Amino acid sequence: MLNTPALNPAPQSRTPAAGRLTPPSLAALACLSLALLTGCSGGTSQSVSTAVKDSSSAVATARIALRQDMDGKLTRAAASTSLDDELKEIQTSRSTVLKLSPSTQEDRDTQKQALDVLDQCAAGFTTARAALAGNDGGTPSLPDGDKALADAQDALKQLEDNVGSQ
Amino acid sequence: MWGPNEGSLVKRLLGVALGVLTAIGGFVDIGDLVTNAVVGSRFGLSLVWVVAIGVLGIILFANMSGRVAAVSGRATFEVIRERLGPRAGLANLSASFLINLMTVTAEIGGIALSLQLASSVYYLLWIPVAALAVWLVIWRVRFSIMENVTGLLGLTLIIFAVALFLLKPDWGSLAGQLTPAVPQQETVWTYSYYAIALFGAAMTPYEVFFFSSGAVEEGWTAKDLGQSRINVLVGFPLGGLLSVSIAACAAVVLLPAGISVTSLSQVVLPVAEGAGKLGLAFVLVGMAAATFGAALETTLSSGYTLAQFFGWSWGKFRRPAEAARFHLSMIVCLLVGIAVLATGVDPVLVTEYSVVFSAIALPLTYLPILIVANDPQYMREHVNGSAVNVLGMVYLVIILLASIAAIPLMIATGAGS
Repeated sequence: MLNTPALNPAPQSRTPAAGRLTPPSLAALACLSLALLTGCSGGTSQSVSTAVKDSSSAVATARIALRQDMDGKLTRAAASTSLDDELKEIQTSRSTVLKLSPSTQEDRDTQKQALDVLDQCAAGFTTARAALAGNDGGTPSLPDGDKALADAQDALKQLEDNVGSQ
Repeated sequence: MWGPNEGSLVKRLLGVALGVLTAIGGFVDIGDLVTNAVVGSRFGLSLVWVVAIGVLGIILFANMSGRVAAVSGRATFEVIRERLGPRAGLANLSASFLINLMTVTAEIGGIALSLQLASSVYYLLWIPVAALAVWLVIWRVRFSIMENVTGLLGLTLIIFAVALFLLKPDWGSLAGQLTPAVPQQETVWTYSYYAIALFGAAMTPYEVFFFSSGAVEEGWTAKDLGQSRINVLVGFPLGGLLSVSIAACAAVVLLPAGISVTSLSQVVLPVAEGAGKLGLAFVLVGMAAATFGAALETTLSSGYTLAQFFGWSWGKFRRPAEAARFHLSMIVCLLVGIAVLATGVDPVLVTEYSVVFSAIALPLTYLPILIVANDPQYMREHVNGSAVNVLGMVYLVIILLASIAAIPLMIATGAGS
């Protein structure tokens, strides 16, 4: 029977045996894992590269949602939810880049450049959301919103190339 | 006019058809929706083989679990607790209950996100409404009605397959993606991490506990084994195809645009692209129904596992007053889910973690089922055949490997980012 205890169970040792994890060694292991995790997070250019990738995905999504709205394929509720979700992605990326502590001049320049581009993305989203909310023939129009996002996408592409070449 | 025999045959056939349809509609939950879309947008169809392995695995163990319930007249977890003792039962309970709780949270978040997509009202405002609706249905609605309505409404997710055809993809290039290969922009580690996530999403532990407890709720006996087999053998593979069509839609529309799925609003875009507003309406109904149905199942599974471990009176076939602790535990689970979501944690992130943690907990769920299904004391002549046991052992090795690799891969890839 699997739930029957062994007939002669081995006496349990109260001294820390070799190979057994004691509380101090567990703490050391936890510190090591944490160090490994933080070590794996990479430098400024890697963080910027990830932020750019995530933001490019967000802007591309917003452009599809906006185009589908213009083509009458998406409801206003779904389109605005999509823009809100993607704006959140941009904000998360911006916050990540903002929190970086670059140690070299090159990294500081990269951070500054990335923040400028991400601000441009946020501005593009503001235009697109205003266009979607208004859409009464006034400004900004949906094509204006798409243009703002397209410009942001170009800037992201340029930044991606710059970061990639470093 | 039909004679009594023909009438009974038609009734039986309708029962089988309904069972299969609800099995298809009920197969997809928030974990499948999110994970398949993420995988499709990043890896194309190169991980479809994992879905196939996962579907075969869930067929194997759900069928085993349903057989245990039908033959012994008791839910699998109850039998595990009795057969393997309280320690093994507690290990099983701890693992499956925590995963259940995460999945309940993810599913309620999924309902709220679907409703936000339909209404543009912020999802946090929908969370209490969704949880209240789940509780009301569990409290008031009959088990069979609950299961059939959500399962049938979940069938509207077939729109993913329809949209895929309407998108007119290059079928040759799509078929070319079926070969297991790591895309250029990804690493072997992220590929392996998502393989495990996809496997965990297909083999979520709550499904087998719900399946076996549901069999007791519906009063299955050994005579119902045939219908149960058809439900599983036909319904689950078709549900798996539905999962693949979600990934394929993402691979056709989102992957070429460089979009990695991080939100539910991205999952619906390929459907709107192919099928327009009508398709969008179908997909929103399907997502709300699938997540709502899964929220019911996971909440009930939480109550089932707790009640069956502690020996409380349980089941929807009893009046709530006769199973008070069972109902109270489910209310507490829903409140915990609301509390977690109220912190503002992203439900999609909860989903992504829940499927990976599912994979980690799989051995604790499936090994006991394999042991119990081989015990002639409970199963009499219905113990596993040798082919099923060989397959079961192969799956245990796969499950163990996935479980061991999950956490190191999660750390190494930064949870797949």
